[in-house]
Amino acid sequence: MLFKLAWKNIIKRPFSSGLSVLLLASSIMIILLAFLTMQQLENKFNENANKIDLVVGAKGSRLQLVLCNVFHVDNPTGNIKMKDVTFLSKHPFVKSSIPISLGDNYKSYRIVGTDKNFLKKLYITPFKQGKLFEKPYEVVLGFNAANKMGLKLGDSFYGSHGIDASLHEHQDAKYFVVGLLDYSGEVVDNLILTSLESVWQVHFEDHQKGSFDLSYEKKHDHHHHHQKTNVVEEDKEITALLVNYKSPRAKFSIPGIVNNKKQLMAAEPAIEIQRLLDLVQPAVKVIAVLAWFIFGLAFFSMLITLVNSMKSRKYEIAMMRASGASSKLVLISILTEGFLVALVGAFLGLILGHVIMEIMGLYLTNHYHYQFSGFIFNFFELWLLFGTLATGIISAFIPAISAYNMDISSTLKKKI
Amino acid sequence: MIQTKDLSIIYENKRIDFPDIDVNQGNHFLILGRSGSGKTSFLNLIGGLSSPSGGQVKINNENIALLSSNKLDKFRGINIGFIFQTPHFIKSLNINDNLMLSQYFLGNRDQNHIDTLLEKVGLLNRKKDSLHELSEGEKQRVSIVRALINKPKIILADEPTSALDDYSCEIVIELLKNLSEENNSVLIIVTHDKRLKDKFKQFIDLDAF
Repeated sequence: MLFKLAWKNIIKRPFSSGLSVLLLASSIMIILLAFLTMQQLENKFNENANKIDLVVGAKGSRLQLVLCNVFHVDNPTGNIKMKDVTFLSKHPFVKSSIPISLGDNYKSYRIVGTDKNFLKKLYITPFKQGKLFEKPYEVVLGFNAANKMGLKLGDSFYGSHGIDASLHEHQDAKYFVVGLLDYSGEVVDNLILTSLESVWQVHFEDHQKGSFDLSYEKKHDHHHHHQKTNVVEEDKEITALLVNYKSPRAKFSIPGIVNNKKQLMAAEPAIEIQRLLDLVQPAVKVIAVLAWFIFGLAFFSMLITLVNSMKSRKYEIAMMRASGASSKLVLISILTEGFLVALVGAFLGLILGHVIMEIMGLYLTNHYHYQFSGFIFNFFELWLLFGTLATGIISAFIPAISAYNMDISSTLKKKI
Repeated sequence: MIQTKDLSIIYENKRIDFPDIDVNQGNHFLILGRSGSGKTSFLNLIGGLSSPSGGQVKINNENIALLSSNKLDKFRGINIGFIFQTPHFIKSLNINDNLMLSQYFLGNRDQNHIDTLLEKVGLLNRKKDSLHELSEGEKQRVSIVRALINKPKIILADEPTSALDDYSCEIVIELLKNLSEENNSVLIIVTHDKRLKDKFKQFIDLDAF
């Protein structure tokens, strides 16, 4: 009955209650969105960054080197000669070193040339169907890549030049799907993996002509015969080498050795990602401040709504008291109104937050080829819920106390 | 049942004294007085809605001034039903819910009783209506039902008819008398409405006091 009374009182004033609920829900939604995005970003970044101790590539931006070769989102910093990094694979502190070579894509999914260790040691992913690539032009598809492109085992396709979708196809670089990977939740889901030889063969002649340029499309005749070309050992190039250490001591020596070579640069994913997150953090803080500001507005909206409503309800409250409702019961009934408004606002905000995150997640997933989801729940939300409920009750306290202390007799004596 | 002794209040630096009354169970009692004679204050004192500056009120031989505010709320809810000149209801609730709420305050729940009383005042078919759809006379009939909903021993009515036309006045006063008789309650009405004077055997005129 008390809930019914409070609820009916709330919906009796739909506009002001609606405004309070809306403000409350918006602030909670924004807080939750910022939290979920940041949390998933951090998780994704850290998960992937922690897999690799060091990325070695061409000189340029370290962050770019990491983003390109660990997360597969940015452009390469350039190429390095395979022979320049062979010393690393033989170094006693190095456990594994896996070369990757970028250059082509198919419908914006990157074709990554690498060796077998990429799937056997680094991103250990079970096969759904098929087998690992062996011969040139055989490819293995990551889970999302296969699903989005609708490719099956035995299908073939032409790769496009560059690492983003373009119209420039290598008419004679025809890839064959020999394996499909299971879902792993890691970058490998969005990649097309092939052997280094495939990438070398496709680009060898381009390279000879000096037209190998990732950011710039040139129209040129495309009648090469890649399959027949043999790449000279001396010219074998890769985009980066992904290094894992054998011992933690390597951290203090290897980056230095690499950086001393004029054609090489070393970047530690963990450090670069922390730097990136530090850059993003203030922006998230600004959003959070905005959200708390709206939360404050919601608080005052609830307070003012109730105070106003008390003014027009003082006779009915006096009447409640005269009919045997104790002042405590009146107090509780008004606190219940604050509680219910907060409850509706909190649930609406949490639901909206998750739904919008899911929708934004689809966009982000498409854009970054990273899996973002709205249906991730966190303990933090319970705090958000309880905090909001407490705020609702506190906002109702001032009007409730004034009703609690009401002088029934003098209120009822005022004739209207 | 109800006895008052030497009741007085200080109102705007003036002392107002009230006559002693003694009303027995089941009796009806009319207190007449013009505006400003303090008759509403008198009724509020009897009902324990305000406390006197002097004198005492005894209900069932219990001095209500000695009850704690919590106990007094409860006592009032159990023993006294109020009717006011302007009937106030919870605007967000319909007629039936308003009556249920009054029962809820005392931990009662008796839909049959609500229906029986609404039937008697002729408003049973409108119990789902909102209060603002009713005329003043009809609202006053609902407030009679509300006053009786917890079967109190005492009904206190403050100007229950002065806002009503002769026809509604007649209906309301008859209902008040009949229903409180059926419930064997004391009925005390304060009013300046001279139309009521002939309808009560026991009355007191504050202006003459």
